[in-house]
Amino acid sequence: MIEKDKNLDLDEVILKYRSIVSFKVRKSIGNYNPDWEDVVNEIITNVIEKVKSGEFRAESSIGTFIYTITSRRIIDYIRQKTKVLKHAPEPAILPDPSETVEDEERAERIASRINQLKPKFKEVLYLYYYKELSREEVAQQLGISPRKVSERVNYAQKLLKKMLKE
Amino acid sequence: MKKCKFEDAIDNYLLNNLAEAEKEEFEEHYFNCSQCFEKVVARDEMIQVIKAKGARIFRDEYVVEEAKGAAWFEKAWSFFTPRQWAAAAAALALVAVVVFGVLPHYRATSPQFYINEEDTVRGGSVTLISPIIDIKSIPSYFEWKKLGDDLEYKIYIYNQKLLWSASTKENKISLPEEITKLMIAGEKYSWQVKAFSPEGTLIAVSSRVQFKISKTE
Repeated sequence: MIEKDKNLDLDEVILKYRSIVSFKVRKSIGNYNPDWEDVVNEIITNVIEKVKSGEFRAESSIGTFIYTITSRRIIDYIRQKTKVLKHAPEPAILPDPSETVEDEERAERIASRINQLKPKFKEVLYLYYYKELSREEVAQQLGISPRKVSERVNYAQKLLKKMLKE
Repeated sequence: MKKCKFEDAIDNYLLNNLAEAEKEEFEEHYFNCSQCFEKVVARDEMIQVIKAKGARIFRDEYVVEEAKGAAWFEKAWSFFTPRQWAAAAAALALVAVVVFGVLPHYRATSPQFYINEEDTVRGGSVTLISPIIDIKSIPSYFEWKKLGDDLEYKIYIYNQKLLWSASTKENKISLPEEITKLMIAGEKYSWQVKAFSPEGTLIAVSSRVQFKISKTE
């Protein structure tokens, strides 16, 4: 799992890490922030440059190396945005419509699948994620153990995955 | 497959329940553990959908827990199909248009009305001139303001009940002797005048004014 091979296949690494870096970037700067792709591209370019210039010396894993570059770039981005905001108001961030339509269709499918789950799974999802009660509070309210709460959530997730594949 | 020790952090991470250091540790972990990253993505997607569409997905649970009182509304609503509801709404709108929009144009002019001695009306009034306060002797005449020509006035004098009433075309009237004889000093009396048009329609009423005849020394 952890790649320490100095002669790592850069293309493969980039292919694998683009989605992870994208996830982290979007989580940090906002899913609908139109800048996210630019930030991701900058990070990837930076990673390639650093690996090529021999800056990655495999003292840590490639994952940790990329994570460090990613979080630094995000901090810079947020600082830079805060400075800009101090001088002029940012125009409203509009989601990319094509992406939104696709996302929306998938979200609708997931929603309808959740709706089809048995009540014992639905109630856990409702209390835990929608009402944001703690695992212990959910357990108490449903008269089951906290461990059982996690089990039901995980099982619901598995069922969803299966239903979505059908 | 052995469970990763970080798996339990997935929910707390996505629900923003981790401290900054724990968050960074977990992030670094999923940059290195593709199994955890896959789970994070799948769980994140599920949570996002639940947060965005939860009100609809959990409508039943929602009604049970948060709006028990609204259950009757659901029942009432499901009594008709949406199409029937639309028809009912259209019918109501039509009735409203007829009642408030059309009918007022066909309404007859104000009806003529007749009232008896016990009734009062809101409308034109007759102003009484004399007597309107306590007087020292039994009044020889009663006077009021003239309202117009050719009207007929009807005067009523009350003790506890009606003592006397008479009609005149003048705006004053003298009491007949048999009535003045009945009036006693120290007693309270009241009087009122109603005005009628030549056709006999009541057009104005005075207020009922009380007066007292002081006892002579």
